[in-house]
Amino acid sequence: MIDLFLLIIALIWWAGACLRIYRQARFYQIEEYMSLRYLRWITSRRERWVPGRPLIAFLISAGITLLLTEASDGIFPFIVGAIGAISAVYPPNEGEIKKQFRPTARARRLLTTTFIVVTLLTLAAGFLVGSIEVGGFIELPFILMALLGLLIFIASPLLLTLGNLLMVPVEGALRARFVARARRVLQEVNPVVIGITGSYGKTSTKSYLAHILNGRYKAYPTPKSYNTMMGVCIAINNDLVNDYSVDYFVCEMGAYIPGEIQAICDLTHPTISIVVEVGPQHLERFGTLENIAIAKYEIIKALPPDGVGIFNWDNPYVREMVERGYPATRIAVSRQLDPQDLPPNPPRFIASEIDEQLDGLRFTVHDIELGQAARFETPLLGLHNVTNILLATAIGVHEGIPLNDIARRVRTLQPAESRLARTTDARGVTILNDAYSANPVGIVHALRVLSMHPAKRRLLITPGMVELGPLEAQENRKLGEIAAQHATNVILVGAAKTAPILEGLRSASFPAEKIQVVETVREGMDWYQRNLEPGDVVLFLNDLPDTYSS
Amino acid sequence: MSSKRMTTIGVIFGGRSVEHDVSIVTGQQIMRALDPERYEIVPIYIDRDGKWFSGAPLLDIKSFESDVRVREGVEEIILSPNTNHHGIIINPLASGLFAKSRIKRLDVVFPALHGTHGEDGTLQGLLELADIPYVGCGVLASALANDKEMAKVLLRQHGIPVLDAVSFTRAEWTQSTTKVIEHITAVLKYPVFVKPATLGSSIGITRVQDADSLRLAIDIAANFDRRILVEQALTDCIEINCALMGNAQDITASVLEQPISWEQFLSFEEKYLRGSDGMKSAERLIPAPLPPQVTAQIQEIAIRAFQAVDGRGTARIDFLVKGDEIYLNEINTLPGSLAFYLWQEMGMPAREVVQKLVALAQDAHAEKRRSSYNYKTSLVALTAQRGLKGTKGKSRQGGD
Repeated sequence: MIDLFLLIIALIWWAGACLRIYRQARFYQIEEYMSLRYLRWITSRRERWVPGRPLIAFLISAGITLLLTEASDGIFPFIVGAIGAISAVYPPNEGEIKKQFRPTARARRLLTTTFIVVTLLTLAAGFLVGSIEVGGFIELPFILMALLGLLIFIASPLLLTLGNLLMVPVEGALRARFVARARRVLQEVNPVVIGITGSYGKTSTKSYLAHILNGRYKAYPTPKSYNTMMGVCIAINNDLVNDYSVDYFVCEMGAYIPGEIQAICDLTHPTISIVVEVGPQHLERFGTLENIAIAKYEIIKALPPDGVGIFNWDNPYVREMVERGYPATRIAVSRQLDPQDLPPNPPRFIASEIDEQLDGLRFTVHDIELGQAARFETPLLGLHNVTNILLATAIGVHEGIPLNDIARRVRTLQPAESRLARTTDARGVTILNDAYSANPVGIVHALRVLSMHPAKRRLLITPGMVELGPLEAQENRKLGEIAAQHATNVILVGAAKTAPILEGLRSASFPAEKIQVVETVREGMDWYQRNLEPGDVVLFLNDLPDTYSS
Repeated sequence: MSSKRMTTIGVIFGGRSVEHDVSIVTGQQIMRALDPERYEIVPIYIDRDGKWFSGAPLLDIKSFESDVRVREGVEEIILSPNTNHHGIIINPLASGLFAKSRIKRLDVVFPALHGTHGEDGTLQGLLELADIPYVGCGVLASALANDKEMAKVLLRQHGIPVLDAVSFTRAEWTQSTTKVIEHITAVLKYPVFVKPATLGSSIGITRVQDADSLRLAIDIAANFDRRILVEQALTDCIEINCALMGNAQDITASVLEQPISWEQFLSFEEKYLRGSDGMKSAERLIPAPLPPQVTAQIQEIAIRAFQAVDGRGTARIDFLVKGDEIYLNEINTLPGSLAFYLWQEMGMPAREVVQKLVALAQDAHAEKRRSSYNYKTSLVALTAQRGLKGTKGKSRQGGD
């Protein structure tokens, strides 16, 4: 009988641990299955890995068991132990979930492995408790079972890590097979590969380039923001396979660690490469901007000698890449130079007479080499898009599309998803959505666009910028200062993270009553639903993954 | 495309047409003219039954001395209408351990087919489905030019001079022969030409001097087509041909030629097989001995006619000229030998002609890319939600 009671208590703890692991898997996914990043995240706050409730539930139930048990049939310690276990493992409210768990094959493999580990540990604990000589002290196995259950429960994030480590060789082998398949597909289909990297602006430039090339050829861009080795392989294996109609494969490449771009280039062999920007994005992973520039330069180094490099001349780190002289064909673009007053060795494509209005951008593109010029008009907003369009234009011209045809094509550009897209909601409030990975360059443009609206209220909702390493506080403070000039109301999401923004706003003497600090994006949305009126405008800047909130 | 791999060109010849053999000759001429430094050539042969083949031996006309289809290295293929494949599937029904079907991408297709199932818009339709750039006229222009009756209707509409004609179907002919003949004699004067409406070459065409031979001539023509055309013949005229090259508004007319064996209408053998190398050596006068203003007028009409049928790439337009009377006789969207001899006269060797035609094909395709074929609607989602009209209502009534 007692064994059955103990078994039931063990099962409760086991179920609790499994449920916790299942919920934690979501964060593992967000941290891209990198154990260190996950552990850093979970240990950064005590409640994340040792929640208070289970601890208290255990202590109370153990105390009651010790103090009050007299009968020897075990029913009372069982009831106390069961209630204690249930109240310990009963899942807490998860709060706001912005990025749902996706039950991918890999996530399933990880969960299965971890569940097996937990089951084995629980079994071992059960045997341990069962093998103890009880004597007359019937409370002991109950307390011991609860203690071991608690330990397994508390350790479940670690067990998840263990499961992840156990899967390393399996995942490695599957990954290698997947990459090999992508390599075969590329050899078969054999498109011209265009690589795009940069701290920001990659995805926009990619989609504009594909749009321009599609006016004459057929381009396939990597979907969404797929820019890791695996993301690129997924794009190739799912969409490029058997698609012989593709002339150009436009491949976005992100750098999270040095050597990653090199690895993607070894797979794809780009013959044309674009470097959009070098900036402090992911600075915390690289340490210095110089290191970021070195990582980005891998995309140029990987070009064959007769390849083509396309550079944003306005960024000093990228300009330095042009000056290094590889490959022989280097095309630079600028929107800052005056076409009448050029330095020696000027960039080939220059945008001048830039006119930014609420209905879009107008600018003149000069092809210095051919001595041509064309007026471009686009519904896109934000000056940084001038640079993105110039980079795409450079390739279009190089691939034989006349400048005037490109100008016509540019008229029908659409903003990439959540990148300063403008819509109006049912009540007539204008929404500027720049919710994807805001960065110091994009944010200034977004705020400028916000202030171009002649609205009574111009609301900014933002949780600030992240992953800027040592520059993060400084850049966010700057964000506050700039926001003070452009917005009339500000909602900051997350008091801790947005403290520097608040500081910046205050230093620019932004009226305190116009600032709201809330803890979730949902709360911010509620305020906007209640308080904004037709004609008002709201700007969403940077929607963070869940690992940054709560 | 400057960062492009070598351009792969599929040249299609043979075909399910009475001009099958002529097409093989034209195909070989085109392949010989294509610059091997610039293009990878994929020969595609369609046999008389309509089976498709590819393989290196097809590059050599000598292979056709015996049955080319059974030669080593010649494989069965299909041209896939799937836009993803963008080319041919080699060995499409492969089965067994070592057999494997594979895809060969074609950047551009160069049709060298004459007449039915090739010059008449059918092949062009397949290439449109496949979304592969191809040389020459599109579906509409090919179909129109190939149909003597429809071409007359359209050209007349555009003020381009054509000869009067009477047209009728085979069914009308068999059911009410007398009525048809009465109608013909009321509208036209002998001599007349009897022609199948859509056949490319001179097969089935008879020149008729009197009512007696009319019946026989129509019976012959009815063997070749479902629709028959009887056309006013022009006596003592000369034939003048003019080749065109270009797209849309930018079209160049060639010098004019006068085939000189016109005195009696050419028999099929005469038209294509005189001499050893197809039409190239048929006797002709280049440039045709016409006054400059007549030459200019013919060239101008040729260009207008080409634009009227929405032509692109190339065509050869044939005229009948008698003094200052000019009549457009027919439009050949894929003329024999691609009228190489006319362009040569203008200082453009065959190599340049085919290169220019490939570039025009790519331009035309790019122009097509400007149109959008995707317009996202929520129609299907909505219909799925509500159920299909009619069927749903009924089943509800029945079910409840």
